[in-house]
Amino acid sequence: MRWGWLLPLAALLAGCSDAKPDKTRLVIQRFFGACEAEYGRVTDIAAAEGECGIMTAMINRFEAENPDIDVVENIVFWPGYDQLTAQLAANDAPDLVTMHGSVISDYQARGLLEPLDADLTAIGAPPASFTSAARAAVTVDGHAWGLPIDTWAPLWHINMNLFRKAGLVRGGKPVLPRSPQELFAQAQQFRARTGKPYLVQGTANEYAGFTRNFYTFVMQQDAAPFEGGRANFRTAAGRNALQLFRTIYERDFTTKNQDYSAAVAGFLKGDGGVFLVGTWMVGTFDAESRKTSGALANGGYTVVPYPKLFARETTFADGHNWVMPRNNRRTPEERAAGVRFLKFFAGHARHWARTGHLPAFQAIIDSPEWRALPHRDNLATLATTAQPLPKDVRRQFPIETIVGTEAAAAISGAKPIDQTLSDMERRVNAVLDNL
Amino acid sequence: MPSVAVEPAAAFTVPVPRGRGRQDWRSALFVAPYLLVFVAMLVVPLAMGMWLSTTKGDLFGTERWVGLANFVRLFGDAIFLKAVANTFYFVLLTVPFLTLAGLGLALVLNRQERWAAVLRTIFFASTVLSVTVVTLVWRLVFLPDGGLLGVTAEALGKTPIAFLNDERLAMPAIAVTTIWWCIGLPMVLFLAALQQVPRDLYEAAALDNASRWTTLTRITLPAIKRTFFLVIIIEVILQFQLFGQPQLMTLGGPNNSTRPIVLFIYEAGWRQWELGYAAAAAQVLFAMILIAAMVQYRLSSGKEAA
Repeated sequence: MRWGWLLPLAALLAGCSDAKPDKTRLVIQRFFGACEAEYGRVTDIAAAEGECGIMTAMINRFEAENPDIDVVENIVFWPGYDQLTAQLAANDAPDLVTMHGSVISDYQARGLLEPLDADLTAIGAPPASFTSAARAAVTVDGHAWGLPIDTWAPLWHINMNLFRKAGLVRGGKPVLPRSPQELFAQAQQFRARTGKPYLVQGTANEYAGFTRNFYTFVMQQDAAPFEGGRANFRTAAGRNALQLFRTIYERDFTTKNQDYSAAVAGFLKGDGGVFLVGTWMVGTFDAESRKTSGALANGGYTVVPYPKLFARETTFADGHNWVMPRNNRRTPEERAAGVRFLKFFAGHARHWARTGHLPAFQAIIDSPEWRALPHRDNLATLATTAQPLPKDVRRQFPIETIVGTEAAAAISGAKPIDQTLSDMERRVNAVLDNL
Repeated sequence: MPSVAVEPAAAFTVPVPRGRGRQDWRSALFVAPYLLVFVAMLVVPLAMGMWLSTTKGDLFGTERWVGLANFVRLFGDAIFLKAVANTFYFVLLTVPFLTLAGLGLALVLNRQERWAAVLRTIFFASTVLSVTVVTLVWRLVFLPDGGLLGVTAEALGKTPIAFLNDERLAMPAIAVTTIWWCIGLPMVLFLAALQQVPRDLYEAAALDNASRWTTLTRITLPAIKRTFFLVIIIEVILQFQLFGQPQLMTLGGPNNSTRPIVLFIYEAGWRQWELGYAAAAAQVLFAMILIAAMVQYRLSSGKEAA
């Protein structure tokens, strides 16, 4: 009787647990935002819009079709790697996590991810079915460490209404520059005829854009920003890439001092001709172009990959992927549930393609259904031209900030270009030397 | 004047128990809970941090012991040295102003009137906001494209200034944000101190026809001297730990002009996974705060003794 009080306490504690004993628990941790209010009960994936809506509807549908699995959806603030690192350090790994391709090698190198080659083949999504960019994103040391969700790249989002006014439309298509000199000439013409800058860029409190531009235009000169796992920035290609944007800045061919939100709003109200931002904005801008009022109204929008300004047609790219963190306490049933979700996702990947991101599966890119989506014909070439950084470059996330911060200083004129390249290379190599 | 009869001191003496060791044990029991928490939550992590600063590793394990190599690398790291300079600059920008403005507000608002109570609430209100809200509000103020200052400048026919994108102005802009956010605490501390000053001193000064300045410098300021130094020490400790504002407003830019030491520690530990290096930077910050606080304490103790 003395220990009788333990019984109600045990019952109380058991009541605190949300585990459902007859179901296998699957913890999915993801970014892409929270939109439970709008899509919390939606299972019709085709009816969902946007990254958050489509992802939420897909998870809802999976849960509805798999009543034996209890899906716990953990939505993290972008990009969520601090939280994931803390969880892994505390042996509290989720079952599936969204992860950028540029980050995979950090976790893989520490033995924190499970290889998925056999599982991907078993679910009918072998790495051979991925696009080359998607395959490169998940492949390290010859193994596939995740299921690619998509590939994204920065794009040339164009306000066709302003381009027409500037005389930069021919045969219904935008006239794109083929060299830095042509870019400056067109930007000059654009400003003279519209009174507005050619480019719209989110550059305040935002450094990723600087990095993407730097990598892209170094790669376009047939140079490699990284060689043998080390930064190689003090080159003519690096200098040209920074000089290109410094000239654009000096000659007022770009909006200045806008943060990301202001730049998006600015492009939507016609602040400039070309907005340099990623694939994720295609859907939003296309929807605006279907309206009858606004700067992009009446079909006044198109989007293309970065134009070839130097020797080679290529764009720096990254992508989103599903990975399975290593967890020694994960049961075979839980692992099987995770693999079942991957199979479901691969089977419905065509829906994700509506986000604007480039599909990870070559078959989807080749399908008439995808080609029929707005502007996708323009973007299909990215499947072969999009280029992520090599996998032997770890810590790409902090490196992106270092490169972006330094590039911003050079472009704004706060620092000479040669000193910038030198500082950039030294700082990045200091990170890589101390892995 | 009636004299107060003082009983012999012996009458107040607490009887000493027979076993002195037993008495010590009982006393220790009173402080034990706090001591346990203090050791577990402060002393042990501090010692672990010191040990980590001599290792190379990440959150998933220590690779090897490297002695003082992390410190040697730190003092050759231009970004860290810039972060140290930025942190000192920020402390210089904020602490004197917070102390003097806090004192000024407390002097003005140390009244019983309703308007003073309303203003005290208003000035303290910003303190309860989270750093996320504060920085969001101030970004909307500083944004040159559609921000409050930008719109105002355009209305006056001037070119908007990009405060957060300008190397010289970004840190002062963060300092203004911080002062707006933090002014409540020094004000409340000074108000509490002012209300402890005996009223009869002011009555005596009034009888002597003392001017307001004389009353302030001869009665008020000497009476709240301890609080003055307390506010300085608290603010020095707080502002040395600057993190959220630059993280959310500038990401340490432009050109590293707003990167403080704590942001450097966060980036080294969590972004670059260099836990030992981050721990070494944390030890340097700890030493800086400790020295600054001790200097303030010594100065205040010395002045009081004099």
